[in-house]
Amino acid sequence: MIDPAAVEVALPRTDVAGTAFRPAQSYWSESWERLRANRVGMAAGGLVLLMVAIAAAAPLLAAYVVHHNPFGIDLYATFSPPSGAHWLGTDEDGRDTLIRLVYGAQVTLTVAFLSVTVSLLVGGTVGLIAGFYGGWLDNVLMRFVDILLSIPAIYLLILLTILQPKIGPVQLSTSDPRSLAVIIAIVSWGGLSRLVRGEVLTIKNRDFMLAARSIGASDLRLVLRHLLPNVLAVMIVAASLNVGAIIITESILDFIGLGIQPPTASWGNMLTNAQTYFYHSVWLVVLPGALIFITVLAMNLFGNALRDAFDPRLKS
Amino acid sequence: MSQHDDAIGFEQFERFVEEWSRRDFLRNVGIGTAYLAFLAGGLEFLEACAGGTSTSSGNVKEGGHIVEASIADLKNWNSVLTTDYTSQQMISMINDALYCVDSNGNLFPLVAKDKPQVSSDGLTYTVSLRQGIKWNDGQELTADDVVFTYQLMYDPTYTAVNSPRRGDLSQYLESATAKDKYTVIFKTKTVYAPFAVIHLASNNYTILPKHVLGNLAAADINTASYNSAPTVTCGAFNFVSWEKGSQVTLKKNPNYYRGAPHLDNYVFKIGGTSTTVLNQMKTGEIDIAFPGIGAIDPSQFDAAKSVDTINVYSYPRLSFDFFAFQLDPAKPASQLFSDKNVRQALVYALDRTAIAHALYFDQATVAGTSMPPASWAYNKDNQPQYKFDKAKAMAMLDAAGWTSSGGSTRTKNGATFKFTMITNAGNKVRENLLVVLQQQWKDIGVDATPSYVDFNKVLVPAITDTRNFDMFMVGFIWGPDPDQSALWHSRNARKGGFNGMQYKNPDLDKVLDDAVGTLDHNKRKQLYFQMQQILAEDQPAPILTFPNGILGLNKRVQNWQYGTFIQRGAYLKDVFVTDGK
Amino acid sequence: MLATIPTLFGVTSISYFLIWVTAGDIVPGVEINPYIKQEDIDRIRHNLGLDQPFWLQYLNWLGLPNLAQQLHLIGGTWPKGILEGDFGRSLVDGSPVIDHIVERLPNTLELTTTAILIGVLLAIPLGVTGALRRGSKIDHALTAMSVAGVAVPSFWLALILVLVFSVQLRAWGLPALPSSGAYSPLVGFDPLDRLSHLVLPALVLSFGYLAIWSRFGRSSMLEVLSQDYVRTARAKGMSERRVVYIHALRNAVIPLVTLIGLELPALVSGGAVVEIVFGWPGIGRFALDRAFGHDYTAVMGIVTFAAILVVLGNLLADILYAILDPRVRYT
Repeated sequence: MIDPAAVEVALPRTDVAGTAFRPAQSYWSESWERLRANRVGMAAGGLVLLMVAIAAAAPLLAAYVVHHNPFGIDLYATFSPPSGAHWLGTDEDGRDTLIRLVYGAQVTLTVAFLSVTVSLLVGGTVGLIAGFYGGWLDNVLMRFVDILLSIPAIYLLILLTILQPKIGPVQLSTSDPRSLAVIIAIVSWGGLSRLVRGEVLTIKNRDFMLAARSIGASDLRLVLRHLLPNVLAVMIVAASLNVGAIIITESILDFIGLGIQPPTASWGNMLTNAQTYFYHSVWLVVLPGALIFITVLAMNLFGNALRDAFDPRLKS
Repeated sequence: MSQHDDAIGFEQFERFVEEWSRRDFLRNVGIGTAYLAFLAGGLEFLEACAGGTSTSSGNVKEGGHIVEASIADLKNWNSVLTTDYTSQQMISMINDALYCVDSNGNLFPLVAKDKPQVSSDGLTYTVSLRQGIKWNDGQELTADDVVFTYQLMYDPTYTAVNSPRRGDLSQYLESATAKDKYTVIFKTKTVYAPFAVIHLASNNYTILPKHVLGNLAAADINTASYNSAPTVTCGAFNFVSWEKGSQVTLKKNPNYYRGAPHLDNYVFKIGGTSTTVLNQMKTGEIDIAFPGIGAIDPSQFDAAKSVDTINVYSYPRLSFDFFAFQLDPAKPASQLFSDKNVRQALVYALDRTAIAHALYFDQATVAGTSMPPASWAYNKDNQPQYKFDKAKAMAMLDAAGWTSSGGSTRTKNGATFKFTMITNAGNKVRENLLVVLQQQWKDIGVDATPSYVDFNKVLVPAITDTRNFDMFMVGFIWGPDPDQSALWHSRNARKGGFNGMQYKNPDLDKVLDDAVGTLDHNKRKQLYFQMQQILAEDQPAPILTFPNGILGLNKRVQNWQYGTFIQRGAYLKDVFVTDGK
Repeated sequence: MLATIPTLFGVTSISYFLIWVTAGDIVPGVEINPYIKQEDIDRIRHNLGLDQPFWLQYLNWLGLPNLAQQLHLIGGTWPKGILEGDFGRSLVDGSPVIDHIVERLPNTLELTTTAILIGVLLAIPLGVTGALRRGSKIDHALTAMSVAGVAVPSFWLALILVLVFSVQLRAWGLPALPSSGAYSPLVGFDPLDRLSHLVLPALVLSFGYLAIWSRFGRSSMLEVLSQDYVRTARAKGMSERRVVYIHALRNAVIPLVTLIGLELPALVSGGAVVEIVFGWPGIGRFALDRAFGHDYTAVMGIVTFAAILVVLGNLLADILYAILDPRVRYT
C-alpha cells in the first residue's frame, strides 16, 4: 500500500528530454480509474444506487406515481394479481404490493447501510486504537472482542431483540429500522475491528510510518493522516460486502419472528409472511425474494469490484 | 323416540343443517344423507352441532400406526406440572383422568365408572372408580392413586411441587379422600358448578401412580425421571420413547381397561411450521394435523381441501381474540369509552364478516355473543346482533356528542377521539386485526393507532397489573364450562385478574355468581342467557369471531371424532387405519 | 491459552446477564392463563430460585458456593454448578440440560459436518478452476454462482427445494426426498433413511459455505500462483500439473483450512435456521426454542458449550496452521 502523502515527496520530477512521464497520481484516483473500467462492478453499483434513490423517494412515489400508501388495507381486494389499479397486485390485507416493496426497500436498506456504518465507526475505531497502541490496551480490547465473538451471533441477536435495551435516550426496539440497525451493529462490529487491527499491524511499521513519526508527527496525525487512509480501503471493501449479509440477516430475523414487525414492511418480513400465503399468491413470495437477491448480488459484485480496484493483483 | 323427542329432534336437525351448510364441512354429503345420519346417530351426535366423526367406511382393521404433527415440543409428561396444550394432548394419549369431556361438553367416564353422585347441598362429589384397572406394570389403580394425584396440587405438604394449578384447585377443593378402595370423595368449599368439568374431567388431572411417585420428597417430584419418561401409565397407549425435539413414540396398551386400541403404534412428529405440516400431509409423512398442536393454517384451507389424500374439517373451538375498552375512570381513555353507546357504535362499525373472510379465510364464526356457539348455554337469538352498519355507527357517535367536520377525526368538547391499541408482536392474526380495526374506525372518524408490544413484558402486565392501556387486544380460551367470570366478574379487576378493562357491573356479578352456585342445568342456562344479554348491551370487550380449528386427516384414518368440546381420551381406542399399516 | 479462562467467564457472565434481563417476572415454560394465580407464579419462581438477585443466581450456576463449601469455607448445601461440569436442570421440565444437549448434539453434528464437507469438497475444485482459468467465461460464471449463493436467504432456498424435490416429485409419482425431520418414525436406525433426510438440509446449509470458500480458494490460489517460488518451479521446467496440484494447491489450501477451523463454533449454532425449516432435531433449534421460552439454564448450557467450542476452534486453527505452514512454527 502506498502512502498518498509520501508519493508526492518520493516521485522524482525529472524531465528527461523527449520522455513523456506519467503524472503523479494518487492511490485513490488510480483505484477509481480501475473501478470505472470494471463494467460489471459499475453496473452493480449503479443498480444499488438506483434502489437507494427509489427507497428515498418512497413518499413521493406513493403520492404521485403509485397513488397508494403502504398501510391502506382493503379487505375486499385481497390477493389480487397485477392489474391497472395495483401494478404488482395486493397482499393478504389488500395493500398495494409495489408501494410496500418501495417502503420495504427504505426499511431494509436503512437497516443494512446504517448498521454497516455504525459497525465501521465502532469497529474501525477500536481496531485502529488497539493496533496502533498495542500493549495492554490492545489486549483488553481484543479480549473483549473475543468474548463478543464467542457468543453465537444468533443467540446474541435474539437476546438483544427480546431485551430491547435503552442506550441513553434511545430505546432500541425492533419496530424501528434504526434501532434494529444498531442491534445488528452491536453484534457484528467485532469482526470488523479484528480486520482493521490486522491491517494496522501490517502497516504500522512500514517505512513511511516510521518516517512520519521521526519528523515528529503527533499520534493523532499519524493515525488520521497516514494510517487511516490505508486502512480505509480494506474497511470499505469489508463494509460493502457486509451490506448484503445484513440484508439477509434481517430477513432471517424476520423469519424467526424478531425483526421488523408488521404492518411496517421490510423485504424480509414480506418474504416471511408470504410463505404461508404461497397457495394464494405466488407474486407475494417471488417479488421480495427477487429484490433481496438482486440487491445483495449487486452489492456483492460492487464490493468485489471495489476490492479488485484497490488491490489489482486479485483481479480476473 | 316419543313425539316430544321428535319435535325437539327435528328443530335441532334444522339448526344442524343451517350450521352445516354455512360451514361447508363434509361438503360432498347432501341433506338427505344428513337426515339419515340424524336418524342413525341420534340426538347426541347432533347436539354437538359443530362436531362429527371422520367417516368410517368398512370394517375395523387392526394394527398400523398414525403419525401426528406437533409444531411445538412436549414440555413435561407430568400432568400436575404442565400448562401447555401440546403436553396435555400427549399426556392424554397415555394416561387417563377420572373423566374427560364428550362432544356436548359433558362428563365422559374414564377411570371413573359413571357420573359423580352429588350430595343435595352440592358440596360433596362421590366418584366410584372402575374396578380392575391396571397400571401397565400390573399394579391395580385404586382410590389411593387418585387421592395422591390431587394432593400434589392442594395438600400443604406438597407446596414444593411446582404445580401451577394449586391456587385454582385449593380455592374450590376442601378435601379429597378415599372412602374405600374404589371410591373417592371430593368436598368443595362452596357450591361450584364448574367443579366437575374443570377439576375432574381434564387432561390437567390425569391420575399419577402413587407407587412410583409417592416415595419422592415434594421437591424431587419436579425433577423426577417420570417427567421425561412416564413408564407407568394407565391409558390407551404406552410410552416408548421421547427423542427430544424430534419425535414421541407410543405403542398400544393391550391391557387398556376400556379395551385395547386398534392401532399398534402412534408417533408425534415434532417441529416445523404450518406450511411444513401441510407439505408433509401431502407427501404422506404425516397423517393428522390437529388444531392447537400441528394445525393447518386457515389460509391454506383451500389448498388442503384440494389434496385428494386428505380430509379437512373446519370447526369452531373455544379460543378467540377480543379487544377491550379501558373502563377505569381513573385512566384517560375511559373518557372516550365510558358511554356504552359509543362502545356499541364502535362495534357496529366493524364488518366482521369481511374480517372473517379476509383474515381467517372464512374459517371463523362471527360471534353472536361471548358464548361459543357450540355451548349448551349459547343463545343464538341474543340481541343486538351487531350486524355491520356504518351509518348507524356514525349516527350513534353523533348522538353521543362526538362530531366531525368533513370526515376528520371526531371531537367532543375539545377532546379528540384518538387512542392507541396494543397487542402482542409476533401474532399475525392479531396484528392484522388491529390494522383492520384502524381502517374501519378511520372510516367513521375515529383515530386508532396500533402498537405492537412484547407479550410477557408489556402486554400481560398491562392487562393484569398496571392497566396502562387505551385498548388492548389479546386471545383467550374458554373452558368446557360456560362460566365466564374470569373476564367479566368485578373481583377479577383486582391485580392479577384478567378483567383488565375494569368492567364492574354488580348485576352481572350476581348473575355469574348465581350461575356457578347452582347445579341445576336449566337454571344455569337461563342465567347465562341473561349474562349474554347484559354483555351484548354493555360491550366491555367485544369478541369478534370464534376462529375455527382446521383438522386434517389422511383418508386412511377412521373413527376420529372432532368437535369443540370432545377430548381424545373418549375415542382414541376406536381409531383405526384402513390399510392396517 | 491462559487467556481462554477469562474469555469464558466473560462470555458466560454477559450471556447470563442478558438472559436474566430478558426474563421478566414469569415462570419459564408456563403459559399465562386465568386459572393460574399470582401466588402460584410467585411460589414456583421461589422454588426455582428465580427470585434471588442476579449475581447470586449466576454464582450458583457457576457452582462457586458449592466449591467453597467443599473447601469448608462456608456451610450449608449448595447446588453443583458448571465449574464441576454440572450444566444444571432445565427450568421448564426439570430434566438435566446435559441430557438435552447430548441427545441433540449428534444430529446437529451430522448436519453441519456434512454441510462443511460438501462445502470443502466442492469449494476447492471450483476455486482452483476459477483461478486457473482466470478471466475466462467459466471463471465469471463460477464467480457469479458463488456471489449468488450468498444472496439468497437460507429459509427461502429451503422452501423452494422442498417444494420441488419433495412435494412436486411426489405429486408426479416419482421417488422423492422427505421434507422434514432427521429420520422416519418407527424405522429404527436405517442409514439410507437418514441419508435421504440429510440431503436437502445439508445442501441448503452448505450453500453459504460453498459460496464464500470457493471465492476464498480462488483468491488464495491466485495469490500463491503469483509467488516467486511458483515461477521458479515453472522455470525449472516442472510440468504445469505438478506445479499446480502439488506445490501451489497445498499452499493455497492453508488459509482455507484455517477458515474452516474458525467455523468450529458454527458446528453447533450455525444450522439453526435450517434446523427450524426442516424440523431437524438439533441444538440450534433447541436453543432458539428455549431462548424464547426463557429457560435460562438450558440456554446457558448451550452458550457455554458453544463458547468452549469457539475456544477449541481457535486453538485448532492455530495448530493446523502451524502444521501446514512451516513458516509459522518458527515465529
